Amino acid sequence: MPRLRAFSLLPAVLVIALATATMPVLAHHSFAVFFDQEKTVTVKGKVTEFMFRNPHGVIRVEVTNPDGKKEEWRAETNSPSVLKRRGWSPRSLTVGEVITLEGWPARDGSNYMRMRKVTRENGEVVGKPFEFHED
Amino acid sequence: MHRAARRIGPSIVLSTMATLALATAGCSGEAPNAGRPDLSGFWELDARVPPDPELMALIAPNTAVIDDTGAVELPLGDFGGLEVKPEALEAALAWNPEDDMTVSNACRRPSIVYATQGPFPMEIHQAEELIVFKMEYYDMVRIVFMDGRPHPGPEAPHSKTGFSTGRWEGSTLVVETTHLEPATITNNGLEHSDQVRVIERFRLSEDGNTLLSTMEFEDPQVLENRGARFIAWRKRPGEYVYPYDCDPTFAINYSEQTE
Repeated sequence: MPRLRAFSLLPAVLVIALATATMPVLAHHSFAVFFDQEKTVTVKGKVTEFMFRNPHGVIRVEVTNPDGKKEEWRAETNSPSVLKRRGWSPRSLTVGEVITLEGWPARDGSNYMRMRKVTRENGEVVGKPFEFHED
Repeated sequence: MHRAARRIGPSIVLSTMATLALATAGCSGEAPNAGRPDLSGFWELDARVPPDPELMALIAPNTAVIDDTGAVELPLGDFGGLEVKPEALEAALAWNPEDDMTVSNACRRPSIVYATQGPFPMEIHQAEELIVFKMEYYDMVRIVFMDGRPHPGPEAPHSKTGFSTGRWEGSTLVVETTHLEPATITNNGLEHSDQVRVIERFRLSEDGNTLLSTMEFEDPQVLENRGARFIAWRKRPGEYVYPYDCDPTFAINYSEQTE
């Protein structure tokens, strides 16, 4: 059985907090099995890849910790079909731009999350964020 | 996260699935959809619509109404009130969700039993003797024959969309589907067999902007009782479904995490 990689160094920008009632929409696999809907995680980093494909998109970012060490975080998005109706497109993110990613963390503590909200450096929110029981 | 399943007692039952199977359609020579409500349009699922009392009253006895429409998920081992036969229960409890996250399985489609309640829209195209459901989820297309033809024999192919026939009961469309391939019921390990039989009822709200429906299913190989869901959609004129084009390499994301 594959196990997710545990991380030993928390990036300075990482925040995990108890969320109020939040849960993304379901698409394909079980959300609850893989992600903790009671917590949120936030990282800031440089986009290295943006895949806009069903059943889920993927955003990869390179996060630099205060000690200069870099690590990769990945965010799984809702179905791009759903994202399109919320203002997203395959060109919404550009490799190299800095974004803040907020989402529900993987249950095993790896650098993986389910995306809830993406904010550009200038404060612009990309598309419409996900809230409780939204489609 | 999910609310408790509701059970429908026999006192409120107005018809049964057995009697539905005996009904006929298209016998008058008139196009079966002539003069009936037009369900055509783009429909977006809305899980906030309360169950429609008129449709809920028609659900057969001994039925668990699963309350997981839309984003809601049942936890592991919770099948929403469905009474699962021992062999199927054993398989369901042995389910490993990580097995789904492989290139082979990442794009394995659900059947209409689960897919219909998912948070994806659909288009309905209603012709004189056919109604077509074009679902965004996994690019599934359902054809509902309204010409009174019988369902094929058990040797006919099974698929995730099955074989569907429909008829009108007043202003309510009743669709019966058989020949479904085994697939998930609740997205947490429980699968129906290829013997599952599905009855759906669709009707428009008074203003025509909401499509109300129930989906009932029975599967004697898997279930001691019956299951049902209430599902509703809002009309969104001018919109259309997008291609789904599932890319199974998404699953590599999960295998990468073992590195």
